[in-house]
Amino acid sequence: MASRRAFLAGLAAAAMPKPGWAAVGNPAFLAAGKTGEAYEICGLSEAGEILFRQPLPARGHAAAAHPLRPEAVAFARRPGTFALVLDCVTGAVRHRLTPPEGRQFNGHGAFSADGSLLMTSEVVAEGSAGRIGLWNGRTYARLGEWDSGGIGPHDMKRLPTGALVVANGGIATDPGDRSKLNIDTMRPNLTLLSSDGDVLDQAELDAELHQNSIRHLALTGDGVAFAMQWEGDAAEPVPLLGLWTPGRAPVLCPPAEAEMFAMKGYAGSIAAGPAGIGITSPKGGAVMLFDTAGAYLATHRRADVCGLAALDSGFLASDGGGALLWVTAAGMEPLTTGGPQWDNHVVPVGMAG
Amino acid sequence: MMRLALISLAALLPLTAPAAQADTAEAVTELIVPAYAAFATATAALDTATQQSCDPAVLAPAYHAAFDAWMAVAPLRLGPVEDGGRALAIQFWPDPKGLGAKAQKALLQADPAALTPDAFAQQSVAARGLMGLERLLWPEKPLPADPCPLLRATTADLARVAAAVSADWQGDSGYAALLQTAGEPGNSTFLSPTEARQALFTQIYTGLEALRDQRLGRPLGTFDKPRPDLAEARASGRSLRNVVLDLQALRALTVALAPDTPKTQAAFDHALTLAETLDDPVFAGVATPGGRLKVEILQQAVTAIRDTAGVELAAVLGVDLGFNAADGD
Repeated sequence: MASRRAFLAGLAAAAMPKPGWAAVGNPAFLAAGKTGEAYEICGLSEAGEILFRQPLPARGHAAAAHPLRPEAVAFARRPGTFALVLDCVTGAVRHRLTPPEGRQFNGHGAFSADGSLLMTSEVVAEGSAGRIGLWNGRTYARLGEWDSGGIGPHDMKRLPTGALVVANGGIATDPGDRSKLNIDTMRPNLTLLSSDGDVLDQAELDAELHQNSIRHLALTGDGVAFAMQWEGDAAEPVPLLGLWTPGRAPVLCPPAEAEMFAMKGYAGSIAAGPAGIGITSPKGGAVMLFDTAGAYLATHRRADVCGLAALDSGFLASDGGGALLWVTAAGMEPLTTGGPQWDNHVVPVGMAG
Repeated sequence: MMRLALISLAALLPLTAPAAQADTAEAVTELIVPAYAAFATATAALDTATQQSCDPAVLAPAYHAAFDAWMAVAPLRLGPVEDGGRALAIQFWPDPKGLGAKAQKALLQADPAALTPDAFAQQSVAARGLMGLERLLWPEKPLPADPCPLLRATTADLARVAAAVSADWQGDSGYAALLQTAGEPGNSTFLSPTEARQALFTQIYTGLEALRDQRLGRPLGTFDKPRPDLAEARASGRSLRNVVLDLQALRALTVALAPDTPKTQAAFDHALTLAETLDDPVFAGVATPGGRLKVEILQQAVTAIRDTAGVELAAVLGVDLGFNAADGD
């Protein structure tokens, strides 16, 4: 029951006014996309309306929203040599973050609850050892770094306790061209870091799933739901969703047998909310929904669907064709069309990560 | 490299012009719907034959006819065949963990109640369909029990699934209508005609990749470890035949969708000539250097079709591979 209370408290926090963001229409989400040859970042309402749009100089991966100020940190695609702190009111690039020599951003970042600290997933370019970069949340000065506890960290989420869960995807990549170097020996893990960067807990999958890269996370109260990308034989059905409460073993959540290949071994985004947990696969053109306990509910087809965020009722999904869709276990329907070609992620504003 | 070429070429072409040359309706009404109907007919005939005899020699022609009919639609992984895992229940392959044989072994000695139509429809998709039938008709080892009840349950289930898929393509609310009314009010599956063309293009592109990576790639294995034992439908001797039929189906879909695609069609013809003259029905030759080279050359020809279609066919249809699907992170 404690987890349920924490979950509801988390929602209440998310719904609280976000002072600075009112200046850009109080967006519920940020999403990056492409219109023609131009890249941009947009603020979205829960109904899928575009509340603001500002240009980006290049295609991004994910963004992190400052919890108080209307600032978005947009991470370059890997190999991530820069991130931009964007003023969502004026479109001005306030800061350009460059990882220290020999480090590369790995796509995701998270703010502390008060916005004073930005944490970024990074790798040591040679060998892909994981680091969490630490930046001042106001000046964006580099403060230092932690060991992420594994190879190739990707997404991270801050628990209500202030501890940070990191998805160490396990894949070492070539610093130049992103080619994967250790598929035969990769060992992804989930690592819980204290607010001082100490490793509090770690979880790995069973040996036969060592090629299931843990990449994206969603908060579920006192733990996380994690989405995976299978690097093994495409003809082997493997679960792509798991649940982890630190202190316990991870629990895997397989789909119905009939849908075991619907995602083509690839979950690109994950979201969790009152309606349960959703994962998307642009490669399979599918959204798969589970209940909050991880029991399979439904699969819906939509080409090139990827971004996903939880709503009070159901989920908001985005696709590469410019549509934003409302997804529930019962079905999927377009909310708005004709937007930019939406990129990988739809990021909540007002929650860390 | 091809991906870049594809995107840049597609970007140069106006999105409105291609629609006139692209014919979703032609592909759907003249090709796909009749092919699913033929598959339903062929599986019904196989079921009728099986209810009368369980003799593999008697059933082989009907089995091959049903499998041939499936190959005409096998590359299509959209719509009714994706509902409830029907495509998997029709053909569960590849099966590297041997899930089908394991599930089937239990069914061979099961209570007959597990073989009633309703109960059998709930059995693992791995145990059912064309590959399940192949294991019963051309068993590797003597079967532990009379296969006749399981054969009959499997053909009845296959015919039921095939009929349901065919029916769901037809009629006012069928999937054919959805593809042809793309972009019209009330159609929340395809929000524009481009989306319908994109969906069919994706079938061709990913179908070619599956042909290359699975039907050809599995037996090829690696140079040091070729795996002729992993060839598709080896026991029934259909491995190469399926490759030829797969290429023919994908070529027919390409021509119906976009007649003005000479380079793509020439690439198909080159691969078909290689396949049709390859004297290696179950790819046993991959275990020898010379035989392996021939299959590798065919595999390269399939890659060449994919790359050509990725430029030419995509441009004619005014589509691309998908902003996120082709990316990944």
